[in-house]
Amino acid sequence: MAAIATAINVLGVLFLSHAVYSAYEHSLLPSASTPSMLSHSLLPASLDPKITLPLDITLETLFSVLLLCAGMVLSCADLKPIQWRAWAGRLEASQEAREVKEVGVGGGNPYQALEERVGFWDISGVGKATRGWMDGGGDKKGKGRV
Amino acid sequence: MPAPYLTAPISADPRPALSLAAQAPTFTTSQASSWWSSLPYPLTLFLNTESQEKWTSYENLFLACLRTGDYPTAYTCLEALIARFGKTNDHILALQGLYQEATAQNTGELEEVMKAYDEVLREDPTIFSVRKRRAALLRSVGKAAEAIADLTVLVDASPTDAEAWAELADLYLSQGSLEQAVYCLEEVLLVMPNAWNMHARLGEVVYMSAQKMEGGDQMKALAESMRRFCRSIELCDGYLRGFYGLRVTTGTLLETLQGAKKGQPTTSDPLAGDLAPPSVATVKKLNAVATAKLAEIVRRGTAGEKGWDGYSEAELKAAKDLIDRDTQRIER
Repeated sequence: MAAIATAINVLGVLFLSHAVYSAYEHSLLPSASTPSMLSHSLLPASLDPKITLPLDITLETLFSVLLLCAGMVLSCADLKPIQWRAWAGRLEASQEAREVKEVGVGGGNPYQALEERVGFWDISGVGKATRGWMDGGGDKKGKGRV
Repeated sequence: MPAPYLTAPISADPRPALSLAAQAPTFTTSQASSWWSSLPYPLTLFLNTESQEKWTSYENLFLACLRTGDYPTAYTCLEALIARFGKTNDHILALQGLYQEATAQNTGELEEVMKAYDEVLREDPTIFSVRKRRAALLRSVGKAAEAIADLTVLVDASPTDAEAWAELADLYLSQGSLEQAVYCLEEVLLVMPNAWNMHARLGEVVYMSAQKMEGGDQMKALAESMRRFCRSIELCDGYLRGFYGLRVTTGTLLETLQGAKKGQPTTSDPLAGDLAPPSVATVKKLNAVATAKLAEIVRRGTAGEKGWDGYSEAELKAAKDLIDRDTQRIER
């Protein structure tokens, strides 16, 4: 998906630059500066560009814009859940969702602190238990998680 | 800063704490021996390596070293924190107390620590971090009644401190006073109403208290417990603990409903009134939903599918045992 989106973006940029340059080149031709009949009634004379572009340049511009829109939408990141239960469910079910990326960003269940209660941590009890576990051989497999 | 230093090593699993403590010495030496820290004062202002990650890492490594018994490295981390934040910072006072509690060899030294806490609180009674450590010390030496008294004063002074209410609930539970534990957990939920794990915890404690009751009161308590687990599932999709509790409570409720007589006397709550007891059909449906969902979670969790690897082995095994036990009963 990322590769397709990048490809679409690149194509869109190429087509857009091609269309814009073609329009510039076309505007330099003397035959292009014929005033169109329609522009007299719609635009005041000072605003009339007095240049008619061929249809394919216009179509190419519009096509490139459409390609760029599609490419930008497809290349965006995954949407994050906005429903509380979906967000909470992801935290509980997926370990990857629990990683702390920076201080204050990411992290697991914010209410886990109510069950771990670091302000009341029983360091002597937990320390003895941990050292007992280490002395007893610790985790032989070294895999899996709590 | 690598991510593993940003999570505190206070869970029941000792393995993260071990890996953190193993990396602590290299971290402290790398911070100390960087060439810019030995420059004179004005130049260090321009070469600042300050970041939140740095100090969070220091604190987490300190906790991990205390847990595994690596006291020299823990002291190095503590010194760095004191140098940065000062000796009289509230949080640093609590960390210093933690260090002294961990390195205390006998009850005499623990008494010294207690005296130090009292000294700090005499000068400034509003340092809540030290109040909490004092209550924790009382609990760890076994003086549960004094710890409860201390915590009661704490929650009286600060009723929105959910951590203190949760600790008080745990203390009451350890002493067997289930009613008070239920009250404290309800206070936790008042402060944090969306805490799905605390809804599950309250469901568990109410279920425990239902075991000791009889008749209409037991039915009411079982229904309340079931509703708590339902709420926790509403707040968190696929919550294994919630579905486990729902399965257990609906199972017990079905047994009691089938064996019960109609119109049993119950004590009615004068303030809140009573909710109608759930119908047998509803309880059966909830039971079926819980069983199906538990089976799905167990299947996907044990297969290790992507997005389902967050459940611990112990949890999955317990859920599997619950399902197997009931299927055995049906087969028999």
